[in-house]
Amino acid sequence: MHVVRVSQDAYGQEVLQGLSWDLLWVFFGAGIAVIVIHALYRWLLAPKSP
Amino acid sequence: MAPGAEVAVDLSVSRRLQEPAGAGATDVVERIVRHRLADRVLHWLTAICVLTLLGTAFLPILGLDFSWVTIHWLTGGVLIIVVVFHALRALLFQSVSSMWIGKADIKDAVALARWSLRRDERPPPKPGKYSFAQKLIHHLFTLVVLTAMGTGALMLTKIDSPWWRSNPYWLSDGTWGVIYVLHDLAALLLITMVMTHIYFALRPEKLFFTRSMLLGWITRKEYGAHHDPARWRVPE
Repeated sequence: MHVVRVSQDAYGQEVLQGLSWDLLWVFFGAGIAVIVIHALYRWLLAPKSP
Repeated sequence: MAPGAEVAVDLSVSRRLQEPAGAGATDVVERIVRHRLADRVLHWLTAICVLTLLGTAFLPILGLDFSWVTIHWLTGGVLIIVVVFHALRALLFQSVSSMWIGKADIKDAVALARWSLRRDERPPPKPGKYSFAQKLIHHLFTLVVLTAMGTGALMLTKIDSPWWRSNPYWLSDGTWGVIYVLHDLAALLLITMVMTHIYFALRPEKLFFTRSMLLGWITRKEYGAHHDPARWRVPE
């Protein structure tokens, strides 16, 4: 998995084009992970709210 | 006022008569305005803009091919106007202290963490108008949206519009690379943040916050259950 997107300019030098879109699934997965972990914590472990 | 306590005085308390609770009885429910109409409109306009920007940015990458550039930059322009309006309104006409993270909020966060981890049986103190978590997510959204807006505004110089001609050589390739990375990072962070924001807004114990962002008010009972009256003062 790449972290950045690069291209080559007219002189053959690498030019940064932005972050890799492979990371889209990393950030989407992070959102799912936060939601699942919080929901499980509230369901199974959290103290009862006063 | 307790030392260090943040107090936001909202004078807009509305009273509304409900159906009688019993024969001959009249149950008066006070509705405390939490979000005024202008703030709700700004919130939902921001939400529509951000979701449109995320959709026009990422759907083509996921394979849904459509002409996204014009929608994307026009929506970005609307978002800039909305955010500037909100910032001016907050700074000039609202209580900035109600959103400021102070010592009391840090103590709240520590108490909440200790209670959540069962290190302390005492429940955490009630917040003022906004909890530590709400202030934190607001500031994170501020940072990330401003980054996306600032870099997006610079990228507008690379497209033709009815008002200006593109100039792709305005900045060096290396500088543009940094701008692209920051814009992409902000966009990707927004995916995670929007997902979690919607999740917390839909949790049963938070639904009254969501209702207040739709309709504007919370009840006096909700106010007493979830807020410290010394830190968010409303008229009796």
